[in-house]
Amino acid sequence: EKWDMPLAYAATNFHSEVAAGFAQCVTEGTGGALEVVTHPSGSLFGGNEIKRAVQTGQANIGERLLSAHQNENPLYGVDSIPFLVSSFDEHEKLWSIAEPAVSEALAEDNLHYLYSVPWPPQGLYMNKAVETVEDLKGVKFRSYSAATARMAELTGMIPVQVEAAELSQALATGVAESFVSSGATGYDRKVWEHLSHFYEVDAWLPRNAVFANMDAWNGLDDATKAVMTDCAAKAAAEGLQRSMDYTQFTLDGLKEGGMTVGRAPDALVEGLKAIGETMTQEWLDQAGDAGRAIVEQYKSSM
Amino acid sequence: MEQLAPIAIFLFVLFLLLGSGVWVGLALMGVAYVGMELFTSRPAGDAMITKIWSSSSSWTLTALPLFIWMGEILYRTRLSEDMFKGLSPWMARLPGGLVHTNIVGCTVFAAVSGSSAATLTTVGKMSIPELRRRNYPETMVIGTLAGAATLGLMIPPSLTLIVYGVTINESITKLFMAGVLPGLVLAGMFMAYVAIAATLSKDFDPTPEPPMRLADKLRNSRFLIPVISLILVVIGSMYLGYATATEAAAFGVIGALVLAAAQGSLTRATFGESLMGAVRTTAMIMLILAGASFLSLSMGFTGLPRGLADLIAGFELTRFELLMALLVFYIVLGCFLDGISSVVLTMAVVEPMIRQAGIDIIWFGIFIVVVVEMAQITPPIGFNLFVLQGMTRHEMTFIARAAIPMFLIMVVMVFVLIAFPELATWLPENIRQRPGG
Amino acid sequence: MAAARALRRILDGVYLAGGVIAAGFMLAILGIIVLQMLARWTGQVFPGATDYAGYCMAGASFFALAYALNHGAHIRVSLMLSALGRFRWWGELWCFGIGAVTATFFARYAIKGTYWSWKLNEISQGLDKTPVWIPQLSMAAGAVLLAVCFWDHLIRLIVTGDHGIRRDLVDQSRGE
Ligand code: NA
Ligand code: NA
Repeated sequence: EKWDMPLAYAATNFHSEVAAGFAQCVTEGTGGALEVVTHPSGSLFGGNEIKRAVQTGQANIGERLLSAHQNENPLYGVDSIPFLVSSFDEHEKLWSIAEPAVSEALAEDNLHYLYSVPWPPQGLYMNKAVETVEDLKGVKFRSYSAATARMAELTGMIPVQVEAAELSQALATGVAESFVSSGATGYDRKVWEHLSHFYEVDAWLPRNAVFANMDAWNGLDDATKAVMTDCAAKAAAEGLQRSMDYTQFTLDGLKEGGMTVGRAPDALVEGLKAIGETMTQEWLDQAGDAGRAIVEQYKSSM
Repeated sequence: MEQLAPIAIFLFVLFLLLGSGVWVGLALMGVAYVGMELFTSRPAGDAMITKIWSSSSSWTLTALPLFIWMGEILYRTRLSEDMFKGLSPWMARLPGGLVHTNIVGCTVFAAVSGSSAATLTTVGKMSIPELRRRNYPETMVIGTLAGAATLGLMIPPSLTLIVYGVTINESITKLFMAGVLPGLVLAGMFMAYVAIAATLSKDFDPTPEPPMRLADKLRNSRFLIPVISLILVVIGSMYLGYATATEAAAFGVIGALVLAAAQGSLTRATFGESLMGAVRTTAMIMLILAGASFLSLSMGFTGLPRGLADLIAGFELTRFELLMALLVFYIVLGCFLDGISSVVLTMAVVEPMIRQAGIDIIWFGIFIVVVVEMAQITPPIGFNLFVLQGMTRHEMTFIARAAIPMFLIMVVMVFVLIAFPELATWLPENIRQRPGG
Repeated sequence: MAAARALRRILDGVYLAGGVIAAGFMLAILGIIVLQMLARWTGQVFPGATDYAGYCMAGASFFALAYALNHGAHIRVSLMLSALGRFRWWGELWCFGIGAVTATFFARYAIKGTYWSWKLNEISQGLDKTPVWIPQLSMAAGAVLLAVCFWDHLIRLIVTGDHGIRRDLVDQSRGE
């Protein structure tokens, strides 16, 4: 049997490379009985099509940025609550608590959760030096989701909606002057051509999740399922390591490109933490008991 | 390739449906369906709808109907005549005469629009009737238009370069800069061809423009002011940061409406006609895009493009041989796929080959754009051919034949790029980047 | 005959109505983009503007499919049809047959896809948070309209020997 695996990101992106490793692991582990073929760069289904495609069996397996679907279920956005965690370790702790609930939510959507890999932490790209949240006022801030738009609102920035494909041009022409993303995005897009500062605020660490169509999964024999689960565990571990390595690599890359890269000043961090409190509360209001249980357990474990 | 029989069936169905006169968009859907049935057990109909929906509800596409509408409005004003009044005194004396307005018009408009179809419809709507009235040979009018409109893909902004840049993680700004000089050189080569062909051809006998003194020429240039100001508004809105590339199209429509009103040619009737005309053209293009998006999914499942790229990777060629192999590969692929699909379907395999061979990845982006431009005018699936067919009602074979010289010029352009790689690499390397803002 | 003429008028009216609705969506695209720019320049927010423009894009395309067919705006390679000469009718029968079947296939799955978007409670991934089935209704409606239009012309072709598509004479782009 052959499973086509749509991926949204370029073949050279570490997520895609981890997924390719996973595919190879499954293919070899089953002796070719189940061949998983990756299709990077959205060449089969694009990012925003992948969940629906796997859900309805148009593809048997796929990878998707989970928080993109938090309009459907707030739990998918548990990895993207701004300023709730502030490091890889804290994020992994939060995720270990949230994973069963998210996996359950996916199962309700006819998806079998296999593994997920975090993106490097989200930092703040700016066109100038900032000391406090006050300094952010009036800056044109690229928003692409409800959470980023709300963040702009709370910080007094002006949210401008810019799609990923138009990001570079928007920065070049000054339509946007600031945005939140991982160091990887800035490195890949060579953001130093347009912006001057990258503040490591570790706002959140969104995850790419790999899931299979539930019916296709249930159709596998136990031996194949075991191989897949093993490979998934390996991929998760490898992905986490690569994400951490890549974080440092991209930050160095941003510096080399000429950007000022560093931890955010304390005053700024404090102001952002306060905004994080507000946004965590707002997320909890949507996410109900399941969400409350996760955040409470996470906070008490700190 | 062990799947020879299914590939043969696939190609047979493609030629059967397109050749027998089935509407292009539906023919593509039909072929894609057959491909899905042959190569995968995934549900074809559901997957088709997923692709069609996301390909036709995308934000970046909204620029297309707006630019089409802008063309329809301009076409109903005296603007096209004016543009010719302004340009003709300067171009009439060149060998090839006003055919050059096709190329100059496309080059200028390419700087406004990221799409070849929008460039084609806007310039074509204005120039075709004027050139026909002056008895220019139809093949030359159609051919140059088909070819020059593809400059929309190379001269920034460019949708193809954006997709390429995102796929390979390279600077889109650099890619845009890399496209400028090759775009101008290619435009120059088109113009040189027109000059030579017009001098050699016996059929080339357009109605001569009345001779004019320099003072009159300059005075006539005032007719160019509306067009130039419109273009300045559209480009300016983009580069001054008032609008994104997509939003600039809205400036175009509003500017065109203002111009039409200023000329007194904006009535309720012309407004309605321009709008309905734009709606028809948009629907025509969108049906083809819908079919093409499904076909590209089907191709992804067949694994054909990747298989071919793998095959080439297996040959272990020298740098020049590799480029030649890729040239042939993309020309063949371009016959059946639109450019953006060719890029995303193959880049995963081609990119490592390129990097390994030590080929500059920015330069290769321009190479890719030239071959993607060729794909626009090669049958059986060539977007500019379709659009021109919709506009002129000529047979596609006629249009494709008229465009052959342009295709050959683009092939020459590839060799020019190989001989003078600096054309693409000099500007991005030497224009000083604003370091850190 | 009177009934047939009435039906003809009604169907042509329906296709035209589709075109007019599409034109409304086209105006809406322009309106949304202008509003979004105005909002940005004045420091306001128009959340989900790009998504709404995308939905209007779909509306402007799908609703006009049948209208465009009825005006002969959809293109095809008619070289072989012309070569058929007096057997052209058979060629047209083949084309309209394939067209009707494909358009019906498209319509069937457009309805199914829209239904499943509703059933799965799929919500847009953007700032607009629109249930996806609502904008998808334009795809379902437009595809059904196109299928009806194809069957209409196919039946006309069989009954009267002529499919009845006339290229728009006012379409001055022909320039002849
Ligand atoms: Na362009
Ligand atoms: Na082609």
